[in-house]
Parts: sequence; C-alpha cells; structure tokens
Amino acid sequence: MMSPAPAPSPTPILVLDRVRKTFAGHIAVDDLSLAVPPGVIYGLLGPNGAGKTTTIRMIMDILQPDAGSVRLFGAPAGDRMYAERIGYLPEERGLYRKMRVLDVLVFLGEMRGMERRRARQRAGEWLDRLGLAQWRLRRIDELSKGMQQKVQFISTILHEPALVVLDEAFAGLDPVNAQVMKDTVLELRARGATILFSTHIMEQAEKLCEHVCIIARGRKLVDGPLGDIKRTRGGHHLVVGFDGSVGAAAQVFADAALVKKVDDYGQYAEVELAPGADPQRVLRDLVGSGARLARFELREPSLLKIFIDLVGPEAAQAGVRPDA
Amino acid sequence: MHKIWAIVRREFVERVRTRWFWIGALLGPVLFGAVFFLSGQLGRGGGLKRIAIVDGTTTQLGARIAEQLGRSGDWAIRVPAAIGVVDSLTAQVRAKQLDGFLIVTDAALDSGKVEYRGSNVFAGKGALQRPVGEALTVVRLQRAGVDPRLVARASIPLRLETCKISRGTTCGESAAQSFSLAYFMGIILYTAILLYGINVMSSVLEEKTTRIVEVLVSSLRPFQLLLGKVLGVGAVSIFQFLIWGVAGRLLLARRAPLAGGGDAGGAGADELFQVPHVTGATFAVFMAYFLGGFFLYSAMFAAVGAMSSTEQEARQAQQPVAWMLVLSFISMFAMLNDPGSTVAVTLSLIPFSSPVAMPVRWAAGSLPASELALSLAILVATIGGVTWIAARIYRVGILMTGKRPNLKELVRWIRTA
Repeated sequence: MMSPAPAPSPTPILVLDRVRKTFAGHIAVDDLSLAVPPGVIYGLLGPNGAGKTTTIRMIMDILQPDAGSVRLFGAPAGDRMYAERIGYLPEERGLYRKMRVLDVLVFLGEMRGMERRRARQRAGEWLDRLGLAQWRLRRIDELSKGMQQKVQFISTILHEPALVVLDEAFAGLDPVNAQVMKDTVLELRARGATILFSTHIMEQAEKLCEHVCIIARGRKLVDGPLGDIKRTRGGHHLVVGFDGSVGAAAQVFADAALVKKVDDYGQYAEVELAPGADPQRVLRDLVGSGARLARFELREPSLLKIFIDLVGPEAAQAGVRPDA
Repeated sequence: MHKIWAIVRREFVERVRTRWFWIGALLGPVLFGAVFFLSGQLGRGGGLKRIAIVDGTTTQLGARIAEQLGRSGDWAIRVPAAIGVVDSLTAQVRAKQLDGFLIVTDAALDSGKVEYRGSNVFAGKGALQRPVGEALTVVRLQRAGVDPRLVARASIPLRLETCKISRGTTCGESAAQSFSLAYFMGIILYTAILLYGINVMSSVLEEKTTRIVEVLVSSLRPFQLLLGKVLGVGAVSIFQFLIWGVAGRLLLARRAPLAGGGDAGGAGADELFQVPHVTGATFAVFMAYFLGGFFLYSAMFAAVGAMSSTEQEARQAQQPVAWMLVLSFISMFAMLNDPGSTVAVTLSLIPFSSPVAMPVRWAAGSLPASELALSLAILVATIGGVTWIAARIYRVGILMTGKRPNLKELVRWIRTA
C-alpha cells in the first residue's frame, strides 16, 4: 500500500489548462482546467451534454482545443505522442465485426505501439483470464454482446497503459461485466496506473473515485479529492430516528435558525442544518423537547446530493437517468 | 510508420481472406476464357457441322456447293437424292441429328436466293454466307465459260494483315490485338477502380459506424489512417491483377484448343480477339493510370464514406462519383472507333475520365508523348488537390454522427478541418 503521508504534490499525470472548444458557435468546453494526480481514480462527472466526451477527445488528441493546453505526463501533449501510454475506451464502442477476436486485439495492440508477438501473447493471457480462451479464433460477430464488451475492454488495457481513459465506462455493461470492469480498474490502480473515467451516474463515481471534477455546460463547478468536496460542499446533514414518530421533534425542526430543510420519512427524518448551526445544539433541543429518539447521526452528503445542488435539479434529472 | 503498416496489413489480410476475393480472382480468368471460347464458337458457326443440301436444280448445283464447302471447312454434308425430303429433314433437325439444311433451286444462280432451315439460323447465316456465296460465284463463272483454273486463282481469299505503327516498334500489334487490348484494358480499369474505390468507402464506413475509428484516431492521424487504408486496398487490387495475369497467361497458352480450332469459320476468335502483345510501355501506362485512377477515386469514395452514417446513405452519396467513372467507361466505345477525335483527346485529359480514356487511346492507336505527359501531370495534380479536400472531409466526417452534411456544411468542414 502507498503511504498516506502527503507527498508534496506529485507532478500530475494530466493537466488541462483553460481548455476551450467551440462547435459552430456552441461552446462545448469553456475554459476548463483540471489536474489529475498520478495513481488515482479520477471521475469526470457531469450531466449528458456537459462536455465530458469533448474534453476526453481533446485529451486523446482526437480534437484540437481552440484555446488552452493539454499536458500529459508532465510535458506538453500533441500529435498523439503518448498514445502508447494511454488506454482509451470511448463512449460508443464497436469492433470490426468480421475479424477474429485475436486478430482484432493484436491489431489494436499494434495501434498502441505494441509488437505483434507481444500483443498476441498478452491478448491470449487476457482472453484466458476473462474466460474467452476458446473464442479467440471466432469472428467478433459470433460473440454475444457481453463477450464483445470484454474484448473491447481488453483492447483498452492490453498495452498496460499508465493512464486509462474510460468514457462512460459502465454504460451498457451487463452486471457481470460491470463487476469485471470494476475489479480490473481497481487492479490497474493497484499496479500504479491512473484512471480517468467519466460518468453521469453518481452512485458509481461515489464508489470508485478518489478525485472528482464536476462539470456542466462545459464549465467546471468543483474539483478536488472527493472527501474534501464532501466536507466543504455538503453542509451538515443529520439523520434522526424516532421511537414512534416525529412527535415533539417537529417544533425543533421548525426552528429556521437551526434547520434548513427536513425530509420526514415517518420512522426517521433527514435534516439539513442551517448554515452555521451546531449539531450539538440540535441534539440538546431534541432531548429537551421530549422527543423519543432511536438514532442521531451526523452524515456526509451523498455525491448525488452535491451534484444536484451544483448543477440544478433539471440538469441533474437529465444526468442521472441511468439508461441515457 | 509501424502503425500505418499495421493498417495496410489489416486491410490486405482481411480482404484476401474473404471468400469474395477468391471468387473474384477465379471468376475473372474464367470470364475472359469464356469470351475467347464464345467468340471462337460464334466465328465457327456455333459448332455447325452436319447439314444437308436439298438440290432442286437441274445443274447439280447442290453438289458443287457441297464440294466448295468441303474445301473451305470441316463439314459433314449429305445431298439427298429425292426432292420430297424436306419433311424428313425437318424431323431430323428436330431430333438433332442434323443442324440444318440448304434448299437450292435454279433461281439461286440468277437471284442468289438460297434458303437455309435449321435449329440455329443465326449461326447458320454466319457460317454459310461466305462459302455458299463463293460456291455460287465459282459456278456462275464456270457456266460463263471461264477457265476453272483462273476461277480458282481469282477466288483466293483475302488475308489482310494489319500492323500498328507505334513508337519503338514498327509492327508491335495487329489491329485485332490493338482492339482487344484496348477493350480489355478499358473494362479492367473501369471495373477495378470502381470496385476497389467502393471497397475503400465501405471500409471507412465500417470504422465509422462501429465507432472503432475513435480508438484508431487517438493512435494515429486521420490522414495516416486513410493512407494505410488506401494502400492496403490498393495492394489487394494489385494482388488480384497478379492472379489474373498468371491465370490469363495459362489460359492464353491453351487458347487454341479452347477456341476450338480457329480459322475454320473465318472471322472468328482469332481475328477479333487475339493475344495482345503487351509491351513494357503499355504495361507501365496501364499501371500508372490504374494507380492514379484508384487514388483519385478512392479519395473521393473515402470522403463519401466519411460523410455518410449508414450503408444506404453512402450508396446514394456515391452515385455522383460513380457516374463520372461510368461515363468515361461508356465513352470508351466511341474512343475505340476514333482514338484521335476531339472528344477522345478531351476525355483523356480530364483527370476524372483519363484513367480509363488514356490507356484505351494508348492501346487503340499511337498518341503523342506530350499528350500522355500532360494527361499524367493533370491527373497527379488533381490527385493532390482532391486528396487534400477529401482528407479534410474525412477528418471531420469520421467523428460525426447524424444526418449527412449539406454542401454548405461540407465547405465549412473543409475550411475548418
């Protein structure tokens, strides 16, 4: 395990500096800056249409920024210099339908600068590992969709990239493959790789990401370590459980100096404290009110909550739709 | 470089591995063989061999015609004695014991009217017209008292030998050779440029619709990808030619037995389709224009593929490109007749038609070297310009989804790419 001692800010693997991209008058990415430290799982989060894919395409040298710069591995990027060290899984996926599984993997390995022999050997190992060994000489279109997803995923990491870029990584994966993907991502991270992945599904990001950057309409709303963001962004939340029902506690919750918002679920209530309110004071008042408490818990806000607060409910609605 | 090579190899290997490639490779020579074979059969009268002559004359004309026919070819002729045999002969034709029969009457000598009844009258006419006509002439002359030896000498048939005057050689190819060479070169150029151009298009489209292009373009520049693709498909076409060339050689070596003997029927396979003598220069012209045409058209087809999102869209959008090629192919027949006409010269200078037109003109008749050089220069310059535009359309198009761009949007793509 890496030591938790705060290394004095290691050189980021990826830096975007005021990057901007416009398409026919529409600003897709607007002065976006971010830094991805090495060895982390970094989430690029935002509702659909926020500019995630455009950002990633600029990182991958597929699109050129209109302004600003991209730095990779501590040096100015450009002309696909670092293609060998980056693995890329685009949002929309596909493989050559008529090609054999092994041939596709070797070819895509070569596209990432691998020797044929080495690509062949590594592809064989991965196919074994993901249970596709007996399919290696079959054509892609003979495989099930789930198997094709595995092959595509192998092609992304075959060349052992130092930076893995996954655009909407889990979109469209069946549950088994989502698990395989998650395990592999964690394993890659353990081996020292940096993972940048974009998603609009906050529950996934919350489970995996150490760093996040939330964007909407091409602009950055917040970025940093997830823990820091939760501490500074969320405000204080309480979960108060009752022995019975809310009863006398209702008058405490009505105090606008203490409480900003209450979601009463009957057996318990989620309470958002007013800015500057002291949770201990709430506890004293609750006890004093005679309410019968079963639970009193200080809680961090969920990433989804932060996300909705930041981008607004409508935009978030569009964003959290899991089928999108 | 390594990556471009990988693209070239993938395009080549995946194509050569398909069943269709080998069907094409085998079918090509078979088709050419069939052309030789059929033209041989046609010239010989389609295997017309067994005929009868019903002699209704008082002058034994039937026997003379039989004699004359026997001299000019390999016929099995009967001259039935009785006159009332037409019905039984008809029955024999129906039973396929006989190919047909001639009915000769006294009127034949004056009016030249002879009747032929048979199962294949087209072949009968082709095969009998000349020998029967000659027989009639001989009989007429003899009846007029001309010395039979003089008649024999006067009726020695013409053997016109043609010789094409071109640079370097005084007598490289005969007229028939020139014709068949130009003809085949035109067909092959048209077919191959169209076929492999469309191959490039569907390859572009496949990568676009499967979205695999996104991964590729993050590894190498769009232009490198396009270059590798065109080179790979081009290599397949040259490999195809190689197979055709070898198979063609083998076939032509056995041409005589295939065409069925040759000179019996007169204007047969040998006169229309002869083994073209392909000089080094002709080969060079063919390859130069094939490669030029292929690069020019595959760049355009690639752009069409990149701006389409579905197979159907592409099929529609490729029509203007394909029509340019079809037009130059159609005009080939006019050029064969008069390779020096203004139309032919113009078409062989316009870069979109010159890849078919110029080799056809070259093969059909000699042409000034300056014209060839000018045509090639225009072609090369156009390839440069068209590729520049096509690469820009390609670069933007491969990442676009949704509806096909209109002309205004296309211009913007080209400007901003």
